Amino acid sequence: MTTMKRFGALYAMMIPVVLYFLVYAYYPLARGLQISFQDYRLMGTHPYTGWDNYRLVLQDASFLDAFVNTLLIGGGTLALGFAAPLAIALSLNEVLRSWFRKTAQMVLYLPHLLSWVVIGGMWIFLLSPDTGLVNVVLVKLGMSGPIHFLADAGWSRWMLILLVTWKDMGYNCILFLAGIVSISPSLYEAARMDGASRWQQMRDVTLPQLSGTMKVIFLLNTLGILRIFDPVFILRNPATASKVDVLMMYTFQRGILEMKIGPAAAASFLVVLLTFALTFAVRRLIRFDEV
Amino acid sequence: MGDRYDRLGWTNRTFDALNAGFLILLMLTMIIPFLNVLALAFSSGIASMQPDIVLIPKDFSTEGFVTVWSSLDLWRPLLNSTIVTLSGTALHVLLSSLAGYVFIHPHLPGRKLMISFILLTMMVPQEAVMIPLYVVNKDLHLINTLSVLVLSGLVSGFSILLMRNFFSAIPYEMAESAKIDGAGELRVFFTMYMRLAAAGLATVTLYEFVGRWNMLTPAVMYITDMAKITLQVALKSMIVDSAATSSSYLITTNVRMAGIVISVLPLIAVYPFVQRHFMKGILAGANKE
Repeated sequence: MTTMKRFGALYAMMIPVVLYFLVYAYYPLARGLQISFQDYRLMGTHPYTGWDNYRLVLQDASFLDAFVNTLLIGGGTLALGFAAPLAIALSLNEVLRSWFRKTAQMVLYLPHLLSWVVIGGMWIFLLSPDTGLVNVVLVKLGMSGPIHFLADAGWSRWMLILLVTWKDMGYNCILFLAGIVSISPSLYEAARMDGASRWQQMRDVTLPQLSGTMKVIFLLNTLGILRIFDPVFILRNPATASKVDVLMMYTFQRGILEMKIGPAAAASFLVVLLTFALTFAVRRLIRFDEV
Repeated sequence: MGDRYDRLGWTNRTFDALNAGFLILLMLTMIIPFLNVLALAFSSGIASMQPDIVLIPKDFSTEGFVTVWSSLDLWRPLLNSTIVTLSGTALHVLLSSLAGYVFIHPHLPGRKLMISFILLTMMVPQEAVMIPLYVVNKDLHLINTLSVLVLSGLVSGFSILLMRNFFSAIPYEMAESAKIDGAGELRVFFTMYMRLAAAGLATVTLYEFVGRWNMLTPAVMYITDMAKITLQVALKSMIVDSAATSSSYLITTNVRMAGIVISVLPLIAVYPFVQRHFMKGILAGANKE
């Protein structure tokens, strides 16, 4: 039997997927690189302009703002979005009643299921200065006046970090729980023989045994920080735009709304490069290959 | 787990109480907002605009829902979202399963190369190629069509690998003996693998269903024609944009909250299945990768 006769049908089954990725993954990447060196208009010719687009982007103050915002919001989300679900997973693992554990897991997962429009829209109301639940409670508790959580530049980045963490912690917590479940029970037995308290067992058995899972989740979350778009798109407003507009928002505004395709493509390509650099750095830093 | 600890000691009881307290506090940050939304959706327009702590409907009324249906046209976006979600999910599951099935054949020449081809696509975030993607779709005359929303994220490396994991749990000898009896690849795929990997199919289907129903970025990028907008975009202009501008007297809070409630109903309906399959699927995927 020749290879084609034996495996022909299998190759045929791959055709749609390969075609899709060629058109929607590889070609756009190459095309993006090309456009980033062109004066691109939707109609007419696309003359090459060398590094002009990159120069334009790198000299644009709002690109640098977007870069700083991405690092601050992304970094904050990375740290809090790692610590919070880890704490919850450890806490859930200590719950002895299974009905309580299941209920907690179900409730904590709920926000991840809903869209950013719904979650963002909900919090815009909850945090609104006049009728929002949070401010009504704060004023009743004796605060002098309402806090403009989403319109105050000082609060806006923190609110984004908190809300992104809040929405996704139930999801990431499941990944940590999966790691905890696979730890050998004999390690806990041995620890208890040595008289270790629950706190000590958590610190000296669970946490070190979880390091592999932690590395994977940290790497996955690192890749996510440059992609933040939906929450910013929903929660931004003119008062806070310069504090919360991240790189993807910058690209979207320049390219799709203002139709400055060339510079936007240059900015996207810088994001791709940053993604690769960040992946490489994190892999080196946490020695991913040693997991 | 019950006998893991001596539960009589007072330190243990304090530990348990503090632990439960921590979790209950976190759960309240989820339950109270959702109760607030639900209560406001079933309140009258005037009552819903008062600054007050509303956890049960005040001045019970369904006028919010009536307004959503009668004066705000959510039907068209709802229909568009349904079309995009159902067809996109079906195609995504089918194509990802096909590729996943191909990858379980250990002796297939070029298998490693094809897997690398797929893995590489997972390295590049879709959002980072948003501009060239826009240009590609423009060249294909897909701007302002529902097809572009079906096509975006039509296949994903994640789903392919997940399906491969589920398929490789099925004994490979079964496929081989069926083929010796004369069954073709497609027949083996549809009649054996797709049936035996039902749990995996459910996982990928639910994942896609939720993701497509909630999809926002492509919908705001490619669609400007009001007849083609999806539910999330319609909701955004109703809930978020109208809150930012001061035209809020036009749409009362109870109407906006009713919009939220309607849009999350399909997700709440599938949640029990998500609980059962999706989480197990994540665990299966997470453990093997």
